[in-house]
Amino acid sequence: MARRPPHCLHRWVLGLLLWAIAAGTLSAQTLRIDSALVSTGSVERFPDTGLRTVTLPDQWRNGSYPGGESVWYRVGLRPVAPLRHDDLLALYIERVCSSFAVFLNGQRVASGGRMSEPLTHNCNYPQLVVLPTALLREDGNTLDIQVVGYPPAQVASRSRGGGLSALEVGPFELLSQRHTRQLALQVGVPQAVSATLVLMGGFMFVMGWINRRESHLAYFGALSCSWAVVESRLWLRDVPLSGAAIEFLLASMVPFVTLAAVQFLLRYARWRHRWIDIALPAQCALMPVTLVLAGTARLSSATAVWYTLLALQALAAVLFYLRAHWKSRRGAFWPTATLLSVITVGVAVEFLAQRMALPHALTTLAQLATPVLFVIVGLRLVQQHGQALQAAEASRISLEARIREATAEIERNFRQLAELRVEQVTDRERKRIAADLHDDLGAKLLTIVHTSDDQRISTLAREALEEMRLSVRGLTGKPVRLADALGDWRAEVVSRLAQAGIEAEWSAPEDLPQTLSARAYVQTTRILREATSNIIKHSGASRCTLRCAIEEGDFQLVIQDNGGGIPMELDGRLDRGHGMASMKHRAKQLQGQCLVESGPGYGTVIRLTLPLDRAVEP
Amino acid sequence: MKHILLLEDLPEIRAWMRALVLQVFPAAQVVEASRVHDALELVSAVKFDLALIDLGLPDGSGVDVVTRLRDVQPESQSVVVTIHDDDEHLFPALQAGAFGYILKEQPRELITEQLQRISQGEPPLSPSIARRVMAYFSAKSKPPVAAQVMPHVQLTDRETEVLLRVAKGYTLPEIGVQLGLSRHTIADYVKQIYRKLNVSSRAEAALEAQRMGLFR
Repeated sequence: MARRPPHCLHRWVLGLLLWAIAAGTLSAQTLRIDSALVSTGSVERFPDTGLRTVTLPDQWRNGSYPGGESVWYRVGLRPVAPLRHDDLLALYIERVCSSFAVFLNGQRVASGGRMSEPLTHNCNYPQLVVLPTALLREDGNTLDIQVVGYPPAQVASRSRGGGLSALEVGPFELLSQRHTRQLALQVGVPQAVSATLVLMGGFMFVMGWINRRESHLAYFGALSCSWAVVESRLWLRDVPLSGAAIEFLLASMVPFVTLAAVQFLLRYARWRHRWIDIALPAQCALMPVTLVLAGTARLSSATAVWYTLLALQALAAVLFYLRAHWKSRRGAFWPTATLLSVITVGVAVEFLAQRMALPHALTTLAQLATPVLFVIVGLRLVQQHGQALQAAEASRISLEARIREATAEIERNFRQLAELRVEQVTDRERKRIAADLHDDLGAKLLTIVHTSDDQRISTLAREALEEMRLSVRGLTGKPVRLADALGDWRAEVVSRLAQAGIEAEWSAPEDLPQTLSARAYVQTTRILREATSNIIKHSGASRCTLRCAIEEGDFQLVIQDNGGGIPMELDGRLDRGHGMASMKHRAKQLQGQCLVESGPGYGTVIRLTLPLDRAVEP
Repeated sequence: MKHILLLEDLPEIRAWMRALVLQVFPAAQVVEASRVHDALELVSAVKFDLALIDLGLPDGSGVDVVTRLRDVQPESQSVVVTIHDDDEHLFPALQAGAFGYILKEQPRELITEQLQRISQGEPPLSPSIARRVMAYFSAKSKPPVAAQVMPHVQLTDRETEVLLRVAKGYTLPEIGVQLGLSRHTIADYVKQIYRKLNVSSRAEAALEAQRMGLFR
């Protein structure tokens, strides 16, 4: 290598490019060997007995070679082109299974590992053997390849059955590139994917295990991990177990893979059944038993039956899931369906590859694509899980908000209740005071009204009783509709005036929506009562007009009589004896005003104005 | 000769009332009581034509006596004589079957006139009582249970019309003029209104009792 000239790098890159563009260039510079002499025997050297010719690739068939013995292949080799002194010659073996040794002109030049049980498992490793220039002869060389492996009956998959592919001899650099590439594809990538599957599967298994409602995640994790275990046979070369034991263990893994796959699909479709939960684990236990019963020699046929059965189960689960998914219309159907179909095809290719010869590229593709698709499905599941978590978080937040609202509502209600309670207590207390007033004060006043001989005292007591009643009403009363108040006032004023022989004319707007507080109602009633009393007692009027109106939010009451008017006092003010002062005072208490216009011979006009807005407030 | 029950707890007022009643009905025999308990016993024993009943009494409410009288002597007239002028106190008595009410503190002449009117079948009706009656019978918001079962205790349009006008403050004579009806006819409407209020309230109470019985 050290002697290689500097320009070899360019050649290397160029060679790679050339190979990539046209594989024909390679075959032109290499020698492909597709037939060999074959012999069997567990000896150190090529046994010269029982020679026959076979074509390569030679996939061993049942009974083609005696079991337990090495199979020796011999090919003659003559260099195709004169070798330059810096060129190395190499032998490239695409597939040799399971272990091997290479002899050039009787000298061992390469070993593939252990040649006795437990055999090294080289089946998926492409081999590159350097043919030392010193051993090469110009006139012709003998290349012996000793192969040990298993007949197809003893392995579950054809890919692990013994055999030798066609050989290629050519420049080391050229074949080395190819070897590197194939090695990466057949060993490196599966290793990486296996590691990814194990990591992702383990993560998802834990996630699903913790979150039992998402049990499909756990099953998918189990599926990923078990698939990675099964796939490990592609790159795991030296296992301290006999081939038969490894085959047995691998085959026993497959029902577990099926269990995980079927349960994943069913749980993902939100469906589970007790019998399936029992049957699938039972199957995992049953299959190893039947394999043991069948024995090593019939392992292949036993697994064939089982694998078919398991594949059908998985297929049924896929169909079930797709049907459920289609029915529920949950999320996008076609991407999921496509993904599942591709995985199914990939598994089907692997399944077929175990039984028959398929193009090497196709099986490699299937081997690689299936786990990659698993990774994609896994990522999708993690994404869904994340979204579900996010949704749960969002709903938790909204729930919290609603709880806060509800709590606030409850507090508000509680406050209102407390206020109501206070109101009730106050109301009850007012009623009690009112009842006491009626029963004690009222009764006494009433007695005075009806027993006093003095008319004036009797009238005063009656007025006091009315006042008391109004006060009580102001104390306990609810707001009064203005329309109702007008009805009450009209009934009282008109009948009183009529009894006194005074013609009354009342006008008021109809259907007023405003309300008066109990206090405003009571005070206005007093003012009106006072005014009416004045007219009856003092005015000498024969006619009285009462007009009610709403103007600019104010309640207006104009009482006009045609009486003698109120006599002026000496100081120029109207007679206080007629209760004008108390009427004005009451109006002022309601933030209103009471104007009295009077002149001898003109009668009297009383204008009462009350702001309704403020009067409405209790 | 009239038998008149006078239920009043204040002795002075009772004496004054007795004098007043005897002035309106000189030939009447007045039986006095000062407690609900005594009045109820009298109602079971003696047949009365007229009963003047105070509401707030030491051992209960005069409404009980009104109810009892309505039950055992349907043809007698109960008149509430009270110091309470508000419908809160009066309405239950009217529902129980009282045929009008008199406010105690009114001048003697007024009470005399009202008593005469009542005994002639012309009970008074204030705007606030009219509003209460209308609200009670209001078919729009919440008809009384009894009115659904017994359509004949619903108010007629004319009766409602009278109530509406009373609520607006018109006096009964005024309403008579407005509707072109005699004072007598208007009084009949008011009597009907009182009667229906009583019948409906009693039916409602009976239905309520029945309903409670059903659920027991």
